[in-house]
Amino acid sequence: MVGHSRNWPVIAGLGLISIPLLVMYIYLFVDTVTDSPAGSVLPNRFTLEHWRFLTEGIEGKGNIWKVTLNTAIFASVTTTVVLLVSSMAGYALSRLNVPMRRYFLAGVLMLHAFPSVTLIIAIFLILQMVGLYNTLIGVILVKSTLELPLGIWIMKGFYDTVPWEIEMAGIVDGASRFRVWRSLVLPQVQPGIVALGVFSFLAGWSEYVLPQVLAPSSNVQVLSVYLASLIADDQHFDFNLFKSVGMFYIIPVIILYIFFQNKLMNIYGGGIKG
Amino acid sequence: MSVSARLGILFLAPALIFVTLFFFAPVVLTGVFSFTNMSTATGITGGAYQVTSNVLRQLADEGFEKSTLDRLGAKSYVVSAQALVVATTEGVVDKAVLVELESKHLGKTYQSRRDFERFLKKLKNRPRSTRDLKKISPYFRASLMGQRFESEEVLFAMLASLDLGLPDPQMRHVARASYTGWVWGTGNFKRMFSLGDNLRVLRNTGIYVVATLLLFNTGFALVLAIATFYLPGRHSAFFRGLWLLPRITPPVLYVLLWKWLAWDTGFINTILANFDIQSRNWMLDTGANAWLFVVLINGFVGASMGMIIFASAIKAIPQTMLHASEVDGANRWQQIRHIILPQIKWPIMFITVYQTLSLLTSFEYIWLSTDGGPGTSTEVWALAAFHAALDNYWGNLQYGYGAALALVLVVIGVVMSLIYLRLFNFDALITRPRIEQ
Amino acid sequence: MEIVVKGFTKHFGDTAVIENMNLTVKDGEMLALLGPSGCGKSTTLFAICGIHKMDAGQVLFGDRDVTHVPAQQRNVGMVFQSYALYPHMTVFQNIAFPLTVRRESKVDIKRKVMEIADLVYIGELLERRPAQLSGGQQQRVSLARALIRRPGVLMLDEPLANLDARLRLEMRSELRRIQQETGIAAILVTHDQVEAMSICDRIAIMDQGKILQIATPAEMYQRPVNSFVAGFLGDPPISFLDGVVRQGILVLQGDADDTIPLPEHISGQPDGKVLRLGVRPEHYQPHFPTKVKGAVVFVEMQGREILFDVKLSNGDLLRSVQAASSQFKLGDTVEWGVDPAQILVFDDHGTRL
Ligand SMILES: Nc1ncnc2c1ncn2[C@@H]1O[C@H](COP(=O)(O)OP(=O)(O)O)[C@@H](O)[C@H]1O
Ligand SMILES: [Mg+2]
Repeated sequence: MVGHSRNWPVIAGLGLISIPLLVMYIYLFVDTVTDSPAGSVLPNRFTLEHWRFLTEGIEGKGNIWKVTLNTAIFASVTTTVVLLVSSMAGYALSRLNVPMRRYFLAGVLMLHAFPSVTLIIAIFLILQMVGLYNTLIGVILVKSTLELPLGIWIMKGFYDTVPWEIEMAGIVDGASRFRVWRSLVLPQVQPGIVALGVFSFLAGWSEYVLPQVLAPSSNVQVLSVYLASLIADDQHFDFNLFKSVGMFYIIPVIILYIFFQNKLMNIYGGGIKG
Repeated sequence: MSVSARLGILFLAPALIFVTLFFFAPVVLTGVFSFTNMSTATGITGGAYQVTSNVLRQLADEGFEKSTLDRLGAKSYVVSAQALVVATTEGVVDKAVLVELESKHLGKTYQSRRDFERFLKKLKNRPRSTRDLKKISPYFRASLMGQRFESEEVLFAMLASLDLGLPDPQMRHVARASYTGWVWGTGNFKRMFSLGDNLRVLRNTGIYVVATLLLFNTGFALVLAIATFYLPGRHSAFFRGLWLLPRITPPVLYVLLWKWLAWDTGFINTILANFDIQSRNWMLDTGANAWLFVVLINGFVGASMGMIIFASAIKAIPQTMLHASEVDGANRWQQIRHIILPQIKWPIMFITVYQTLSLLTSFEYIWLSTDGGPGTSTEVWALAAFHAALDNYWGNLQYGYGAALALVLVVIGVVMSLIYLRLFNFDALITRPRIEQ
Repeated sequence: MEIVVKGFTKHFGDTAVIENMNLTVKDGEMLALLGPSGCGKSTTLFAICGIHKMDAGQVLFGDRDVTHVPAQQRNVGMVFQSYALYPHMTVFQNIAFPLTVRRESKVDIKRKVMEIADLVYIGELLERRPAQLSGGQQQRVSLARALIRRPGVLMLDEPLANLDARLRLEMRSELRRIQQETGIAAILVTHDQVEAMSICDRIAIMDQGKILQIATPAEMYQRPVNSFVAGFLGDPPISFLDGVVRQGILVLQGDADDTIPLPEHISGQPDGKVLRLGVRPEHYQPHFPTKVKGAVVFVEMQGREILFDVKLSNGDLLRSVQAASSQFKLGDTVEWGVDPAQILVFDDHGTRL
């Protein structure tokens, strides 16, 4: 049903609308390794100068490696929490005779759509009251919670596809429900765990609002906040530098994206189709 | 309780704890905070009582007598019976002095510490050293101004020592007016409904949601899904991959790329310079341009979710249906109108509800790009709440007022996510567990 | 070990799926649970092995009342229609799983797995994963896993349904061989009467949650309790003729011309009573005495035999199976006979008289 002659107007149309994206992402890379003369968009020389911040740091800013480490800790701990909690809760909702299971599931679905940013004011005050304001732990807890409804929903979807017979065989073979979950069911939902893990890691890695609002102090700074403060700071107004830091920031994202594109597609589609 | 029920509760417990702490508690507390006047000034814990010139001005407005207020505001030293009792019991001051003050000078008033201490020096039983003398005066200080009282009782005791003769209700009135901590009230809502700016913010929110939703989150998402459906694999993979990029790019970096496009020294200006067009910040120079960028920035991110869902829905349409229509001689446009669009009616509905909700409450990209500017031309409701409570120029963060603004969104969120729930065939989702343990 | 199910009742929501069922599986026997799809066979198995709770009734394993014992402690072996192998484990790990759960020693596990693998002929497959096995091999692995800890009873839920025709025959006899070698009582759930008749000691036939009859295959074939059982067993199936009694003779419905004398043991039926006759294809043959006339409307060559459908003048059908040498053709008018001794007679409730 695909006639090539009819495709070029479509490609041209899509291409036209995609121009801003293409320009932005191509120049994101190009500008980090070149210089362009003032008033021109065509680079005239190759340079690694914009990457000096990796070794020399940026004046008046924290150590980029420390910030990167914070970001990695933030993203990976969040991922771990989300995976642990959702793989347990998702199983309970998919397979166990929990009282009021119906309502729990409705709750998860509602929270899945519920706009969590609206809660940030109250969360800010709660963290202040319990003394977790300005700590990485506080942001991790909040970020994990906000990712949970989607995580539980996704995991439930994956558990739903595991044949009941495998579990039945397991308990007839003498394994407890817990053992059945751990040894027999969990391995079947590994693709879900990988997908959700990558998704949560990226979500944590990219998060800006929560760390900026809930942990602005410099010793728990993450890359998003670091980059934002760099841009906000008039003293170093240098797009090549911004982009280099940005490129440094986005490299892990791109790598994960290339490897897990198809799995991510599903989750970015809201995990509606388990 | 059955084995699996117990295990189930155990398995749900962590999720329940997290969700209770950071979902339900915030929802409830948003409601609670919105009925307070919490701000940086009041703090979020308790407060104290402090009569300041502001308080006096307020009391004057509320009809207190001038003479009373003068007394409240006056800095004076009074030989009062009460002060004598306190001083006697504490025993720091020589008894003889106090006895003399009580017997001969009760009720005398002095306007300053210097006057009072000069008077003390003339006493028969005056202290020998200046240091001892200085210890006496604080007991007789009768001014309220600037003093912090940790509780209402202490404040009342102080008022009583001034011998103002205030009736109880008025005392409590003074206490209320001088309290520095937060208090309950519906002031936030009165303010929310009376502030003309909010009408503008409301209109902005409408424009933002409708434009982004129609143009991109459903509109262009549909175009992308349908176009890539007809394109050969290589091309469709390219466009889908490209349009998912904004979604996975960290927001700070993504907005930075737009800024580079739009700012004074950015890409657009560099190109336009060749045509002798004055360089300017396209993102912030006029309200209209700011809107253009706000919609583009959000729309380029938002198109991907719809694209993915629509694409998979289109893929699920039975091939035979499409083939049949081709045999019937339908061209692509007719195929799209009469087969594809009706078949993906539900996904479109679903995306519309979901995205309306998330657009209505999102502010991250606007915050990072225009921050509501220029002026307040792109300030949307969620951003206004955020600005009021957590990020404003004046430094006095108004948590209570921000919470009231956010409460509006929370209520909309609850209602719309209930609608969202209705879009699911819920009974199909909860089949009865087949292992009964 | 003898398995006894007493008064078993099961509801799903408002619908009663099983009502007051009684069933005994004798030690060492292979019992078929036969019935159409959805009649409650799997539900019965699940109740016996403890996956489902019973709303009422008891299950006894020998002297032990296991009604409230969890599935994990009942020591039953189960083979599922889909085999339910654990996809992430090797064949060895699959078979060893029941022992691993019981924390048996590595040496014991290895020895037992080898033994059972030899019994079911899968010794060379132990390092493979389920996805690398054919259907028949998966079936054998599943059987080995069910047998490895010497279960009190072996339950097979439609074990042959997913195999192609040839493998089905092969595995059918294998199941029987292995069951007999181990001597474990077994319940074979199936909706295929040939399967049930060919390898089981006894058959329990079910319909709509009730057991209609428990008997040996031959007994059940020859003396079905009712027309449902008679219709369910036999391939090609039995033909039914409806009619009314007139002076000891059955006048077929619709057309008063066709009559069939009632067999001797059914004598004394009052006039006007509605009855149904069942005639198996092997009992409607050219040489039998009680003649019934009709036209051949369908002929199916089955190799060794030929199947004929004969349409009577009232429109009813009678089937006949004859040797392939038979010369009759489509359209022939024939007057073949029914063996009067073999006619099954049912009353208007379907109960055999
Ligand atoms: N978990 C369940 N919930 C509701 N009805 C069920 C459930 N399991 C089985 N049934 C119903 O019980 C009847 C018997 O099912 P089953 O025992 O699986 O039949 P089969 O004889 O084909 O194995 C069927 O009508 C089926 O629809
Ligand atoms: Mg079944």
